[in-house]
Amino acid sequence: MKEIVVGITGINSSDNPGPGVGVARSLKEAKDLNVRVVGLAYDAMETGIYLDWIIDRAFIIPYPSSGPDALLNRLRHIKSVAGLDFVIPCLDVELPLYSRIEQALKQEGIGTFLPTSEQFRLRGKDQLLEVAPAIGLELPKTRVVNSYEDMMAALDDLTLPVVVKGAHYNALRAYSSQEAFGCFHSVLAQWGYPIIVQETVTGEELNLIALGDGAGGCLGQVGMKKMWTTSLGKIWTGVTVQNRTMLEAARRFIETYSWRGGFELECIADGEKTYLIEINPRFPAWVYFATAVGVNLPAAMLRAALDLPRMLPESFEAGRLYVRYTEELITDMTSFQKMVTRGES
Amino acid sequence: MSRLSQLAINEEGFVFDPTTGEAFTCNKTGLAVLRCLKEGKDCDEIAVVLHKMFDVDFKDAAHDVFDFIDHLRVFKILAQGLEK
Repeated sequence: MKEIVVGITGINSSDNPGPGVGVARSLKEAKDLNVRVVGLAYDAMETGIYLDWIIDRAFIIPYPSSGPDALLNRLRHIKSVAGLDFVIPCLDVELPLYSRIEQALKQEGIGTFLPTSEQFRLRGKDQLLEVAPAIGLELPKTRVVNSYEDMMAALDDLTLPVVVKGAHYNALRAYSSQEAFGCFHSVLAQWGYPIIVQETVTGEELNLIALGDGAGGCLGQVGMKKMWTTSLGKIWTGVTVQNRTMLEAARRFIETYSWRGGFELECIADGEKTYLIEINPRFPAWVYFATAVGVNLPAAMLRAALDLPRMLPESFEAGRLYVRYTEELITDMTSFQKMVTRGES
Repeated sequence: MSRLSQLAINEEGFVFDPTTGEAFTCNKTGLAVLRCLKEGKDCDEIAVVLHKMFDVDFKDAAHDVFDFIDHLRVFKILAQGLEK
């Protein structure tokens, strides 16, 4: 089969890993695809650059704050020297930028498979008030705050402890009104309005990864429970689960919003109730877990985007264990030197 | 489908709930009670099984069954008022 060159971002596999290495590993393991992976890094220290059995070649790309033109020019250069056919941006902050250059990339012969701007908006925590009931999930009692007065009213209305969240990033837990106002100021200073104030719920932390085809069809999904997390809340050990409410919610999410691309639902299950906590509009860092249990979503994405023969949605079995571990890699300075001086390996 | 009916239970007393990912361990008595509950037996029938299996007094066995069922309710494996 013809080689497909795929550019992948988010290849820093650190204590807060990006999804890129898992996406690359998944594509490499798809037997029906012949993928050459180009790692797209923001810094020469991103660990994926050095995993040459997964990432074939790496390039430094400009930070999203440099704007769409700088990124487009860089991707044009990468295509000219490495033959880029497709790009998978794996970080939230990149998605609006890649959306803006989607058509220009297409003209250059570089494919993408991204949610639309309207779909991307749905992942805002202020949108979950609408999304959760539409897909059959509960939402913890929530208030959207746009002023100091709103914040006072929200605290009158909600039972402590609460979680104070930015619309897209940051979540701080507060056990008293005084602490909640401290969190409010902190989130406001960094992310602005709206701020979301939510009652806390307890239960099992369940997550789901899935892929929508952009026409309401689900190309695969896997649910799991985080058994052990790092101090940053990142999964360290997990187990696959068949939680029907969550699986059905993901199908409804894809169907209702014609979602295109990968996404993650973060939920808390408490007995009969399953609460929606967050939607991430891209593959999560544990994407390879799904691949290893038989649901290779990055490969399914590539097949759908390139009009290759699709495979039927794969099923998975509950009770498969995921164990993350650390490993050291010792190499010479050549790759690092090339990345620093030339911006490519 | 009740949560109890979906539990995966192995010979050594490892119990896994495939819907929530929770895992528990229980001793041989607990294992016997869980299996009986899955078979739809009521408390008296389970106490008879324990009485025969472990050669214990029926009253003690019944007490153990009630106690274990209370634990299952705390863990929300059994709903209140069910399987009494």
